[in-house]
Amino acid sequence: MKKLPEHGEVTPSALRDRKRYLLAALACAATTLATTPLFGLLDPANIVMLFLLTVLLVAVLLGLRPALLAAFLSVGLFDFFFVPPRFTFVVNDGQYLVTFAVMLVVAIITGRLAAGLRSRADESALAARHARALSEMARELSGALTLEQVAEITDRFLGVILQAKGDIVLYDRDGQPRPAVDHRTPHLVVEPRMAAIAFERGETVECSVLAESGCAAVYLPLKAPMRVRGVIAVAPAQSFTERLSAQRPHLETMASLVAIAIERIHYVDVAQRTQLQIVSERLRSSILSALSHDLRTPLAALVGLADSLACSRPPLGDAQRESAEAICEQAERLSGLVENLLDMARLHAGNVTLHKEWQAIEEVIGSSIKLLGRALAEHPVKVRLADDLPLIEFDAVLIERVFCNLLENAAKYSPAGSAIEIEVSLREERMEVRVADGGPGFSVAEAGTEALFEMFVRGESESALPGVGLGLAICRAIVEAHDGTIAAGNRLQGGACVTFTLPLGKPPLIEEEILPEQEEEAK
Amino acid sequence: MKEDAPVVLVVEDEKQIRRFVRASLEEEGCRVFEAGTLAGGLVEAGERKPDLIMLDLGLPDGNGVDFIRDLRGWSDAPILVLSARSNEKDKVQALDAGADDYLTKPFGVAELRARARALLRRQSRTEAASPLFEFGEVRVDLSRRVVTRNGEPVRLTPIEYRLLCVLLASAGKVLTQRHLLREVWGPSSVESYHYLRIYVGHLRHKLEIDPAQPRHFQTETGVGYRFQP
Repeated sequence: MKKLPEHGEVTPSALRDRKRYLLAALACAATTLATTPLFGLLDPANIVMLFLLTVLLVAVLLGLRPALLAAFLSVGLFDFFFVPPRFTFVVNDGQYLVTFAVMLVVAIITGRLAAGLRSRADESALAARHARALSEMARELSGALTLEQVAEITDRFLGVILQAKGDIVLYDRDGQPRPAVDHRTPHLVVEPRMAAIAFERGETVECSVLAESGCAAVYLPLKAPMRVRGVIAVAPAQSFTERLSAQRPHLETMASLVAIAIERIHYVDVAQRTQLQIVSERLRSSILSALSHDLRTPLAALVGLADSLACSRPPLGDAQRESAEAICEQAERLSGLVENLLDMARLHAGNVTLHKEWQAIEEVIGSSIKLLGRALAEHPVKVRLADDLPLIEFDAVLIERVFCNLLENAAKYSPAGSAIEIEVSLREERMEVRVADGGPGFSVAEAGTEALFEMFVRGESESALPGVGLGLAICRAIVEAHDGTIAAGNRLQGGACVTFTLPLGKPPLIEEEILPEQEEEAK
Repeated sequence: MKEDAPVVLVVEDEKQIRRFVRASLEEEGCRVFEAGTLAGGLVEAGERKPDLIMLDLGLPDGNGVDFIRDLRGWSDAPILVLSARSNEKDKVQALDAGADDYLTKPFGVAELRARARALLRRQSRTEAASPLFEFGEVRVDLSRRVVTRNGEPVRLTPIEYRLLCVLLASAGKVLTQRHLLREVWGPSSVESYHYLRIYVGHLRHKLEIDPAQPRHFQTETGVGYRFQP
């Protein structure tokens, strides 16, 4: 970037002021010196002209106040050196008083005019420079691709044009602030409350008191088309506060440019992330389906082959048949595990589409019991349903997985012959389902805890039994996808009990059917 | 092997699965032919005129559903679909396209043989339809429109009766929800799944010993219903 020219007038200091007055005085002295040899050759009226010219030049070059000083000095010097009697301030001829008065008035008026003209020229030059700087900033911001670049461009603009420092604070959707650029030492102390006010109201907040303590004094909201994205806090360099408030319009323009740039970067980011997500989603689902095919096919072959071996003809010897049956059973167990892993992977991928339909919970309980078949052979299942259970909206395939996992666990962790109880009741706009067994239950430490539903966590006391502890994690993922809750505990009379609830909702109306008696009567 | 033994065609790309399916079916007394691809399967089906086709839905050279549609153009041999769990959509598509039943992988030999037997039996007995059905404690006389349970008459509404008839007519076979809705309520109601569920529930409560664990009116979750005598 082209470095913007630095201008002396922009930073007038006390030192500079004194120098200018000195220069004005020197100019008057020089005029006096230059005119002295001409005394006698020139009329006093013409000498007055030379002094007036000096005042005019001082006004043009050094500004109004030095010009005023020059005006008074000129009158004094003219009186002292050129008005007879010379080298005294005594004036013999009264008409010189008119000369002095006219000289002073002319000097002051020309000085004022010239200085005014000059300051206006300065102002417009400054305004033009600011406009140029702003347009250049806009151009650079339009090419910025990262927040770092935006911060850098803002810094440059503030530093070079306004001799100020600034920091950008972004707010996320929840109104939490964070610096625009991580790992960057902040330029100044940002007063968080002032920033929050500017952010919430969407208005510039200014507090010159803060500037004294080294805090940012002006807080400009970054208003982008979609929402206020954050705040830019600006602190003037040194004691330059009045100048800063005069620059408010520029600062606000800058803030809106920065806001638009930040929002653009945000949406570029969002678009990129979405793109990435789509790609990784596609990859994940293709890996999953390839994996599930590759894992299931050999397992299906293994189960079938072992089973056909076990019932082959002529029959195998007892030992061989038992081995074949064991292979078949192990392969089936492995297959169940693979199913659970694939389920978990699918559920963990996040976007499971639920095929929710209105149906009776009774139906899916029945189908789960039937599906488990042999695994429940040693456990009678008692189902207790409250009267008049309404239809409820759920994904039957997934809720069936929940029941299968819970029933399987119950069968696995309770002694053969003990009953498994399923109880369904209504409670506070929810349907509550309890699956309880007659086993040892969860240990005291783990009953009622969330940890049981984590992946790969199993009840401590049962570690000798097979299983990976995916079952409850799957149940939780499915139930939570249905906006339900799930909890594990022990019954008072002993035995583990897992309770899950599903929201009731409003089932669709079913039209009443004409009874056959009525139909017969109509005939 | 007898000449009039039923002919079964197995269309499946995994050789080891074909092997034990063949072994199991031959023990049932079937003549078994194999195909590893969809195209090969269609050629074999045309040549061998099978009495039963076992079809894997995930074939390398195409979708099994297309195979069914193709085959149904010129053959009504029963089709038993072999499919993985969690592919309910594929199963429904296959059944709606004209498949007769499905088996979820992995499956055991006994299950396979039972399904094959049921399909072959239905194939052979088409004319000998009797108006009398008996299952559990229930007796249904279609000719007199009378349903009794333990000798006591059971009152069914017209829709319940129609649903019962449709299920009885395809005993042992999976019927998709769409199919049942179309048959019982008519083509305009194929999306009103909750009606179907309510009425199956009614039948269970009137005819099953334990409606929560039905023996005869079975749910094929995500697919449909099956009446098992």
